[in-house]
Amino acid sequence: MLKALERLVDANRAPFEEGGRLHWAWPLYEGAETFLLTVGTKTSKGVHVRDPMDMKRLMMFVIYAMVPAILMGMWNVGARAFQYEGITDATTLECLLRGAWHMLPIIIVSYTAGGIAELVFCVVRKHEVSEGFLVTAMLYPLTLPPTTPLWMVAAGIVFGVVIGKEVFGGVGMNILNPALTARAFVFFTYPAVISGAYVWDVVGVANPLTRTGEAVDGYTGATALLAVSGADRGAQAVDVLAAQGWDWWALASGAIPGSMGEVSAIAALVGAVALVLAGLAAWQTMVGAVVGLAGVAMIFNAFAGPDSLALLTLPPHYHLVMGGFAFGAVFMATDPVSSATTTLGRWIYGLGIGAMCGLIRVINPAYPEGMMLAILFMNVFAPLIDHYVVQATTRRRVARMATVAS
Amino acid sequence: MAHHPIRRGLDLPIAGEAAGPAVQLDLPSTVGIDPRELRGFIPRLAAREGDEVKAGQPLMFHKFEPRVQVVAPVAGRVKEIRRGARRVITGFVIDTVAEGGVVQHATHALDALPSLSREAVLEQMLAGGVWPLLRTRPLDHLPSPSTVPQWVLVDGMETGPLQPGPDALLAAEDREALQAGIHVLGRLTDGGVVLTHAEGAAHPAFQGLTGAEVHTFSGPHPAGDPAVQVSHIRPPTGTGRVFTIRAWDAVIVGRLFLTGRYDGTRVYAAVGTGVTQPRLVRTVQGAPLPHLTGPVIDGPARWIRGSVLTGTRVGPEGFAGLSSRSVHVLPDTVERELFGWATPQLGKWSFHRSYLKGFGRPSARYDLRPGLYGGHRALVPTGVHDTVIATPDIQPTFLFRSLIAGDLEGSIKLGLLDISEEEAALLSYIDPSKNDFDVILRDSLELYAKEA
Repeated sequence: MLKALERLVDANRAPFEEGGRLHWAWPLYEGAETFLLTVGTKTSKGVHVRDPMDMKRLMMFVIYAMVPAILMGMWNVGARAFQYEGITDATTLECLLRGAWHMLPIIIVSYTAGGIAELVFCVVRKHEVSEGFLVTAMLYPLTLPPTTPLWMVAAGIVFGVVIGKEVFGGVGMNILNPALTARAFVFFTYPAVISGAYVWDVVGVANPLTRTGEAVDGYTGATALLAVSGADRGAQAVDVLAAQGWDWWALASGAIPGSMGEVSAIAALVGAVALVLAGLAAWQTMVGAVVGLAGVAMIFNAFAGPDSLALLTLPPHYHLVMGGFAFGAVFMATDPVSSATTTLGRWIYGLGIGAMCGLIRVINPAYPEGMMLAILFMNVFAPLIDHYVVQATTRRRVARMATVAS
Repeated sequence: MAHHPIRRGLDLPIAGEAAGPAVQLDLPSTVGIDPRELRGFIPRLAAREGDEVKAGQPLMFHKFEPRVQVVAPVAGRVKEIRRGARRVITGFVIDTVAEGGVVQHATHALDALPSLSREAVLEQMLAGGVWPLLRTRPLDHLPSPSTVPQWVLVDGMETGPLQPGPDALLAAEDREALQAGIHVLGRLTDGGVVLTHAEGAAHPAFQGLTGAEVHTFSGPHPAGDPAVQVSHIRPPTGTGRVFTIRAWDAVIVGRLFLTGRYDGTRVYAAVGTGVTQPRLVRTVQGAPLPHLTGPVIDGPARWIRGSVLTGTRVGPEGFAGLSSRSVHVLPDTVERELFGWATPQLGKWSFHRSYLKGFGRPSARYDLRPGLYGGHRALVPTGVHDTVIATPDIQPTFLFRSLIAGDLEGSIKLGLLDISEEEAALLSYIDPSKNDFDVILRDSLELYAKEA
């Protein structure tokens, strides 16, 4: 089987190689070949042996780490729809099927539209298909509500791939996280589709896989953060949430309205453990973000008076499990390309993201959620942070040389 | 005595280690020298094809430093001078004779060596042909005789993959010659000699030596690399230079002063899964590589002088090195796998933790092959690169971005002259983006050498 495939691949390579009739399509051929078989090229210069690890495997493992978040999101989309249609006897499988019916088209459109943009650039710019795209096109749909129109999904991912990444020269050269760039495009261009109280659920939207009912009276799908930010002055945030039926565990497990993959902090935590164990993401960034957000929340708690905003009273451990924070800190902030790359820089960068996220959530009247903006903001500052850390390293080395000399 | 624990690095678990005592081989019918092994040496011929040469007689000298010369390890007749592209000399081949003449230099008593003049030491080292055993930090070139080093490192440790160390290359009776070598090298500098060895029980040849400060190192490769050791002990300051030499080469230097003769005998290791029976052999310097290895595998093989990390591909027609003490025969085939990017890949060794190598025994050795196992990508700084750099205060991803961008001045600030080639080779080994960091570093250093 393997030998036959190798022969097939070898027999069809010629037209795509240098000087061949189809050489313009070499990135497509190369992508397909290395999808099937590990690279057979031998080392030609320098080190004679190489580690079997490559970018394909690295990116694939990041996707594996997202699986809990994907499944939890799928279940949640279905479960919430049934709940607000008054159907109480839906099984887990039914919930998953219903969620999948709404989620998979968005994921497929994201991969297809983004993939076409990616391939066009590979052919035109003559570089190999980059597997970083596989992660981008999976992260992006997870940050969208399940009701997002498919053409908007496509427009967003194309913007993210082209403006967020390819115009800088492809993976490894970009400044901003391409998945968040795509989401930011949708967020600012079609704000009504991605914010508010009625976009997070597919209540009453028919599908061929499971039962569908009518929305029950009084249905509202405000996210937890929106609920707290809309509460009266003087209210305690925890009470506001409890009135919605959400204690801390409900928020952490993810049975709440929100973007498809972002609802469950526990799923994100599982992903975080997998990423850190596999050595694929910097734990410094994640811990920094948690400390940053918790610290800012504690400061706000200390300033909360009898008739201050309800958001000021939101305790740190609630902040951490609400909104897109956990998902963003684990999967978006740790993107090795757009984050800071020095160890100290990662701490500063993580702390900055957490603190900025808290500030936007509490102080900013326009956006109840701030994680996306916080990460994009710190993406821009990451090179500056690194610059100063590297300068400090250089100064330390020069100083060491000087003491040695004396 | 100072100890330097090295925490970052990687011991490559590659199979094919040489075992057992060194096998004494017969004198090979030919020996050869490949002057390309000596970085910075531009050869000019001192002997012609057909000439009779004595052991220790000059064969080649340096175009710009004529006193630096390479001598014949054994007596014989010059058989051929092989040339490659652009008429570069690729091999100086001699037909050996068993009972030939020997070039005799002055002999010295061991206790008279510390009082020799610098000029006398320099003269005998150059004439005796042992100068090419020295290297300089930074740049790792052959040093110029007019350079006065800030200090001299005698490195008695080896951590490279499958490379023979002091246990294989030194005998207890080499102690006197090593002591002589330390005295002689101490005359080259005012900054003293540092002898290093692995932490723990020192080799008998290192016991009770005088005239050298002793430092010990521990940890994974590149703990035994002279460049890394220099960075940890006392890095060169300003435009200064530090000379480095391996302890087993210092023995040859010492013996030249004690016996007045160039010692052409060497222990080499023939390693790798391409060698049927990996072994240590005692033979002469420059022996043909198949003479060292004995039988090798059928099918394509890659012959490497030195290690799989920094060694040079030479082919079976190559010769055992002047300062490199091993030949690695690597089976030159790569197996492809179906959907290798998605499967668990049990039983395969990787530095990265997304391979479940935890199930393998820590002492397991693997038949690594010369595959690239991936396409070239832009450098993605996942943080893994920092984990193999033993030299302090280096940010490898920034250094190499600067080198890739061609910014020599900026990269010197980032540590171009501090990082070692072994470290760059480890970086290339682990990089999922498959960059050639070691090639980039070497090219940049050569460019720097040309411009400086």
